[in-house]
Formats: sequence, structure tokens, C-alpha cells
Amino acid sequence: MTAITTRAVGSSPTRIEGTAKVTGAARYSTEQDHLGDVAYLWPVPATIAKGRVEAVDSDAVAGLPGVLAVLTPDNAPRLETPDDAELAVLQDHEVSYRGQFVAAVVATSLETAREAAASLHITYAEVPHDSELTENHPKLSKPEKVNPAFPTDTEDGDVDAALAAAAVTVDATYRTPPVHNNPMEPHASLAVWLGHELTLYDSLQGAFAAQQALAKLFALPPASVHVINEHVGGGFGSKGTVRLGAVLAAMAAREVGRPVKVVLGRQHMFTVVGYRTPTIQRVRLGADADGQLTAIEHAAIEQTSTVLEFAEQTTVATRIMYAAGSRRTSHRLAALDVPTPRWMRAPGECPGMFALESAMDELAVATGVDPVEIRIRNEPDVEPESGKPFSSRNLVACLREGAERFGWAARDPRPGVRRDGRWLVGTGVAASTYPSYVGPSTASAAAEPGGGFVVRISAADIGTGARTVLTQIAADALRVRVEEVRVEIGDSSFGQAALAGGSMGTASWGWAVTRAGERLRAALDEHGGDGRLEVHVDTAEEVKARTGFAYHAFGAQYAEARVDLDTGEVRVPRLLGVFGVGRIVNPRTARSQLIGGMTMGLSMALHEEGVLDPAFGDYVNHDFAGYHVAAAADVADIDAVWVDEQDEHVNPLGVKGIGEIGIVGTAAAVANAVFHATGVRVRDLPIRLDKLLGGLPG
Amino acid sequence: MDFLQPSTMAEALAAKAEHPGAVPIAGGTDVMVEMNFDKHRPPALLDVTRVSELTEWGMDDGRVRLGAGVSYTRIIDELGDRLPGLAMASRTVGSPQIRNRGTVGGNLGAASPAGDAHPALLAADAEIELQSTAGTRVVKAHEFYLGVKRNAARRDELITAIVLTPPSGPQQFCKIGTRNAMVISVAAFGLALHPDRRVVRTGIGSVAPTPRRAYAAEEFLAAELESAGLWESRAELPTALAREFGEKVKAAGAPIDDVRGTAAYRLHSLAVMARRAVTWAWTDYRTARGT
Ligand SMILES: Cc1cc2nc3c(=O)[nH]c(=O)nc-3n(C[C@H](O)[C@H](O)[C@H](O)COP(=O)(O)OP(=O)(O)OC[C@H]3O[C@@H](n4cnc5c(N)ncnc54)[C@H](O)[C@@H]3O)c2cc1C
Repeated sequence: MTAITTRAVGSSPTRIEGTAKVTGAARYSTEQDHLGDVAYLWPVPATIAKGRVEAVDSDAVAGLPGVLAVLTPDNAPRLETPDDAELAVLQDHEVSYRGQFVAAVVATSLETAREAAASLHITYAEVPHDSELTENHPKLSKPEKVNPAFPTDTEDGDVDAALAAAAVTVDATYRTPPVHNNPMEPHASLAVWLGHELTLYDSLQGAFAAQQALAKLFALPPASVHVINEHVGGGFGSKGTVRLGAVLAAMAAREVGRPVKVVLGRQHMFTVVGYRTPTIQRVRLGADADGQLTAIEHAAIEQTSTVLEFAEQTTVATRIMYAAGSRRTSHRLAALDVPTPRWMRAPGECPGMFALESAMDELAVATGVDPVEIRIRNEPDVEPESGKPFSSRNLVACLREGAERFGWAARDPRPGVRRDGRWLVGTGVAASTYPSYVGPSTASAAAEPGGGFVVRISAADIGTGARTVLTQIAADALRVRVEEVRVEIGDSSFGQAALAGGSMGTASWGWAVTRAGERLRAALDEHGGDGRLEVHVDTAEEVKARTGFAYHAFGAQYAEARVDLDTGEVRVPRLLGVFGVGRIVNPRTARSQLIGGMTMGLSMALHEEGVLDPAFGDYVNHDFAGYHVAAAADVADIDAVWVDEQDEHVNPLGVKGIGEIGIVGTAAAVANAVFHATGVRVRDLPIRLDKLLGGLPG
Repeated sequence: MDFLQPSTMAEALAAKAEHPGAVPIAGGTDVMVEMNFDKHRPPALLDVTRVSELTEWGMDDGRVRLGAGVSYTRIIDELGDRLPGLAMASRTVGSPQIRNRGTVGGNLGAASPAGDAHPALLAADAEIELQSTAGTRVVKAHEFYLGVKRNAARRDELITAIVLTPPSGPQQFCKIGTRNAMVISVAAFGLALHPDRRVVRTGIGSVAPTPRRAYAAEEFLAAELESAGLWESRAELPTALAREFGEKVKAAGAPIDDVRGTAAYRLHSLAVMARRAVTWAWTDYRTARGT
């Protein structure tokens, strides 16, 4: 062992498991070759949007060679009532949305299971459904709170009076479509029972929470459930909590007495794993002639299913972004006969900031104030609604740094006047923000008999580089080189830990890993550095003691858009994000998180849209042939940089989450650039070519 | 499901005669997608990739005989000089992986109105060679597409080659999609000038139930070029002429609204592409030596 003083945090090692992944040696959840005799489950989605399952003709397929079981609402094992009603799969005969799983076939091969599932005859009693969200939908009501626990509505000052008195107002309605979670790896579960002990290999974003939920569902002591998620191929929130594939796998494995695999098909991903709700957002801004805000109102309309209430926090970012004399935010929700919308990368902030940051651009146009300057003018001293000081806030620094790097200074504000051949050219800016959450976590650290150290924490690396950055953090806490540390993650038996969600992974796990490393280092120093030492830490107390400040990350995104004058085709040759996100542990993986988010934001701006067929109550473009995400050729010059930000209040490492902020604001920056290029303001995403055509200059 | 794997043309034709329900599979980039989506389950697949006549191309008396199973990648690499219009269309197909597997024969077999090879084949006056154990026949491209995803090949026939005289003048291909790659056309347009014959040929894609030619536009432009003596003078193409040509191409479309684009957008873009394509092609013609 060599005690060292150089720090690993801040350096850019490549992903520890990178080679294993690209060579195929890394085993994802359902690739457990050591398990023999595995059976396969294929779910049967409902073909009606609302009604009841009257009968499932199981007998016709139960006898097919290779079919081991047909699970239906009539025979499926009963589960304890879950907190998450979506998990009560096959527990009753209700059909609440088209595509909901109403049966499942387990067979000795995937092909047999699929074939039998396809031929399973189900009789339904169908009733009329209502799947279309509209502005005046009669079912709109006020949810009790919005995700995860924010007040639904807030009001501060007299918005109506301020709007009436304002020199300049903006009043516009923005719409975002349903957008679907599509991590490269679909949800994949493999359940194995040994007596009354359940082991689940799953592609989840948090093993510990999954263990707790499954224990409850199957009425087992938590210690009898073991969840392993060593490698996860992306999640974006859709794997944030146990999903029904895992429940089906566990249920079926017990029924058939062998390990059962459930890997969702791509088309299932558009229905059962949660998507981003469509939104209809009205934003009203009042300002004086210089663009100083006097009123902000942001009212969001969104949908949920009748199974589970998910009320996205669409307007919460508006509560913290800008100083204004008065402010009102609200959320209204309609429970429709649709699949349940849930978390998707920056739920709330992402669609909400499309509206707010588009409206800020409209205000800049209306007042003639530069879009960068107008944001700087409305910079608050403290968090506007709570009055708390920010632990750090560098929006202005990000805007300035971005303007400098992007070459904003010479920008002519007039829309639709710059041409390069047949291309109209424009630039746009928007702000980004995301809360800096932190969750309590436990970790252990041990000196290994043969030298070196092992740190264990129930973290999940969903492709972010978590394993790598935790190794860097552990090495610094132990004051050793990264090569001497092995970090083990992805196992519920390592104890309670935060999710890989809410951009809180590195902050939460890093905190626990730091404490574990420090404590082991101290113990080693005391005991002379030899022997088998192991320490356990829990950050719950420390995390609870974090109060007194408003904790958020900020950023500024700049986009250049080129629009074909004749066809309306949009290209985005340049995207630049500048972020104030605390300490960067690993610039390489950080940049990839940030530009990944920005790419997804670009995709939201130009391509992604779940198209509802109201007659069937389902999304018609439920695969990659019909649902377009940005292709590599759509992303040209994209870059993310960060300003130096030291925040000693946010957490001991001074890190803020970077997983989600990259997608916040991108769509507005692109839409604002498209406006600057063409003079056409697109307020409903995506910015499709036919939406631009009518308004292009001649 | 049977999997038939002939290694000679004779075996392939015999297999097709014996199993007319067998679905030929070349690159599989349409067939496998349809099977994956359970659109149909053929009794047999007939793998045509081992038949060398299908995977080769050659010149015969100034004509190109392009085996139905030559991949887009090879067309781009090997035929870019002789068949620039088809090569341009090939470059816009899918992604490198799809271009490595996918073939023009497969595009013809699928006969989708959105297939990108079709406008180029129509504009080049290509002919499709069909063979069966009963013999060989040749169908002109513009008579090949019969309806949405229906073509002129009989159940016992294989598409064996595309035969064409490389157009003597410049060629263009334009495609509009909703993203920059891996995209089905919202609308596509192919154009070839044939100065030796004093004719103009077009092909339009994704704007009607089948790929088709814009006959009235072709005749209009050829007549205008003739009467103004432009073929000889190689003078500039009047802007109004290009625009009028665009409008006439647009008139040949009969598109629908779908998730990729509205009918109105498709027609508009068709006029734009036709106008641009003819302007570019004419510029090439004016600056070209020879021909
Ligand atoms: C991701 C993706 C992107 C795509 N992008 C595009 C695109 O941009 N533009 C485009 O035009 N297409 C695109 N396609 C569709 C497809 O790649 C093309 O139609 C391609 O030309 C099909 O060729 P193939 O050799 O793979 O055909 P296959 O799938 O093998 O066959 C297609 C059809 O032709 C028949 N067939 C094949 N060979 C013969 C033969 N010798 N005789 C008789 N019938 C035959 C088959 O039976 C089948 O009906 C895309 C497909 C995918 C999966």
C-alpha cells in the first residue's frame, strides 16, 4: 500500500467495465449462464383500452409442447397490495389501458412462449374509453401533490394585478407530446427461487428499493429477497423502481419451479414502462419595458392513468428560475384510459422549461432585450419562492461563458434575415436547471487480505460511469491509487442506498463511499495498516442535517438552427451547453452524460412524438420504425463544458447531479434558434417540417 | 418453416417453381422486419444470396446488367460513375449496415411506394428482368409497380436483374425525411436527362400508391428544351421553366397524410425537389464536356 496525495477525483479514467462491455464479457441481468433450465415468459397485452377480461382460453395453449404455464387473472398467485398499483399484475380482471398485461405464457423457449401468447384467445367486455388529453377535459382535477412531493399549486403576490399593469406581456400556450423511454436495453428480469428465497437479476436503477418492494409484494422478509443489477443498459427513470416484468418473473418462477426470464419487447416499452406525459402549458409573463419580470404564471395540464396517479412536476422549475414580483404555478391532471406516464429523464423540469424558456425568448423579442441579457436581468438573489439562499448558483456565469464561446455578441436579433444559400440561419439560447438531490446511503469498505481495498455499495451503473467515479472517490478517501480499489455495486445485500435516479447517484453514493473510505483510512492508521478491517457507514443522519439552502444546478444551452427555405427541413449544426454543476469527478464520463442529455433534448425538439390513435387509445408508432429518435447524423458539433463551481453546502464532495440537466432547456434553445432563423414560433413539439412551411419568408 | 438455399440460378428457379409460396430473401432487411412483426409467416424462405448471377453486375453492349442481389454499398462503390442517379439514391438508404445488406432486387420485391431505388430506376428507363423455369421476360420499370407493395413478378418468378442503358445526361436524386439518416422518405424525386434521345425522365416516391413517373412534366420539359433549342445551346435554364416543371411534377402526386408528413407537405416538397433537381442537372449538363 502506498499512501498518496494526488487526487483521482477530477481525472478522466475510462470506464472500468468498458472493455468487458465491448467484448461481451459483461453479463447483463438475464445473461446468467450458470443457471440451467431457464424458462421464458412472454406477456399478453390487452387489445382493448377499457373494460374487463371475461375469459382466457388457457386450455387451448396450455397443452402445446413446451408450454409450462399460462398465467391469467383467474389463476395467477395473489400478491400483497403494492404501494405501486401497476405492480398488481394479473390481480384482477380490469383493463385500464390498451397494452396492459392481462395474461402471460411461460414456456421452455422464448419462441414457444411468444407463439403461445400470440394465439391465446381472450374474451373482453369492452366499454368506451377516453384517451385524449384536451385543454378543457372534464376529468381535469387538482392532484394532492406533484412528483415526488411538491405542492401542486403555489402563489406569491398578486399575479393578475401585475399582469394588468405590465408594460409588456407574453401569453402563450405550449404543448409537448408523449415521449417514450427507450433505453437500449429493454427491461430484463430473471427470477430464481431457492425454497423461500428469491434472487432477482434485473436491469433496475436501484437494487435495494427493489428488494424492499418485492419482499412486501411476496410477503417475505427482506433478507429473503436478493436483487442483483450488476450491469444496466440505460434506464432514464423507466427502471427507477421495480417494474412488472420483475413481478411476473418472480411469480412465474415460483409457479413453474425453475428460473424464469422476462425481457420486454421493444413494443412493450411504449406502454408498460412509463413515458413522459403530454403537456399543455400556459405561460403568462408580465414585465416592464426593460424586460424586468413583474409576474410569472405557469399552468400545466397533463395526464395520468386510472391505475396509478403520476402527477408530473411540470412547473416547479418556474418556482426557482427568475426573480419576479408575483408568481403563480399550478398543475391539473386528467386520469385517462391510457398507459401510466412516469419518470423520464428530468420529469417536470424538461417539459416545463421548454415552455418557460420559450416564453422568456418571446419576452426578449417583445421587449427588444437580448435573450441572454433578459435572463441576467431577472437573476434572483435568493430562491424566489422559499427565500432561501442558493448553495451555489452560476446561471449568469454559464450564460456569459456560453455567449463568449458561442460567439453570441454580434447576434442580430431580427428573425428570418440570415441566409446561407437556401438555408435560413438562426441562434437561440435557453437556461437549464435541475435540483441537487441527495439520498441516504450505506456503504462498507474493507482492506483485503492480499492488499488492496474493496468498497461495497448498492449503487447502479446504468451506463453513466458510476462504478468508475465511485472508484475515484473511494481512492481519494482512502488516499490510495485507483488501481488499489475495487468498488462492488449492483447488489441489494450491500444495504440501503439511493437510486440511480433524480441525478442523485454520485452525490448520495459518493458521500457514503467518502465516509467509508475515510473511516477505514483512520482505522488503518490507528491499527498500523494491517489486518482484516472492515467498516460500515450510513449517511442518513448527515443527509438529514443538510438544510438551510436551496440546492440546484444551472446551465445555459446555445443552439444554431438552419432551416431549408423551401422545404422546412431543420438541421442543428451546433449545440453548446455550459453548466454549473459543482465539482466534476470525471470529465470524460461527465461530458458524455451532459451531451447525452442534450442529444435527447435535440431529439425531443425535432423528432420524438408518441402519436395517439384515439380510436384504439394507444400509440401507433410504437417501435423505432415509426418513433424516431435523433440519429448520429442529426448531431453535428455538440459540446458541453462547465464553469468552476465550488459548493461546500451541497454535500461533502461538492458535486451536483449531471444525469438530467443536459436535457433541460435544449428543446427551447432549438425552438428559439428556429424562431430566430425563420420568424416562425413553434409552440408544440416536435418542430416538424410541415409546421414551419407556411410561415417561411418568401 | 423451410429454408431453401439454392447455389445456382437453375436450382433457384426450380425451387421457386416447386414452392411458389416460398418468399425470396436477399438482404433480409424487409423480409426479417416483416417476420419479426408477424406480418406474415411464409411456408418457406428462399435464400438467393448464393446465386452468383444475382450478386454480380456487368456491362453488355453498353448496357448495365445489375444483378438483383448487388448491395447498395457495392452500387455506391462500383457504379457511382455509370449510374450516378441510382448511386445517389443508394447513399440515402438506411444506415451503413442496411446498405451492406440491402439490395435493389429487394427494394423491387417489396415495391414499397417509399423505396428509394424506384425513382432512380424510373428516371433511368430501367428494365426489370424476371426469370422462371418457363423463361425470361423483361418488364419496364414504369410497368413494374402495380399497387401498394405489389409488383409484376409472378409467383413462380424471381427478380434476377435490372438492365439499363446508363442515361447519357446528368442525373439527380432528392429525398426528404424527418431526420438526417435512417429515414423513410416523406417524399423522393429522381431525374435523368437523356440528351441523346432528347427526353427527360422522372420518378416520384412516397407521394402515390406506387412509385411513378410524372409523364406530363417530362413531356413538358422535353418540349420546352427542344423548342427553345436548349439541348444544343446549353444556355441557362429559365427559372420560370424550372418552376413550371416543379408544379407539373407535383401534379403527378396523389399522397396521403401519415405520421411522417401531411399530403400537402409532400406535394409542396415534391415541387421544390423537382425544381432544384432540374436546376442542378441542367447546370451539370451545361458544364459537361462530351455528350
Ligand atoms: C433500418 C432500416 C432502414 C431502411 N431504410 C430504407 C431506406 O432509407 N430506403 C429504402 O428504400 N428502404 C429502406 N429500408 C428497406 C429495405 O432495406 C430496402 O427495401 C432494401 O432494398 C431491401 O433489400 P433486401 O435485399 O434486404 O430485401 P429482402 O428483405 O431480402 O427482400 C425484400 C422483398 O423482396 C423480395 N425479394 C428479394 N429478392 C428477390 C428476388 N431476387 N426475386 C424476387 N423477390 C425478391 C423478398 O421476397 C421480399 O418480398 C430500410 C430497412 C430497414 C430495416
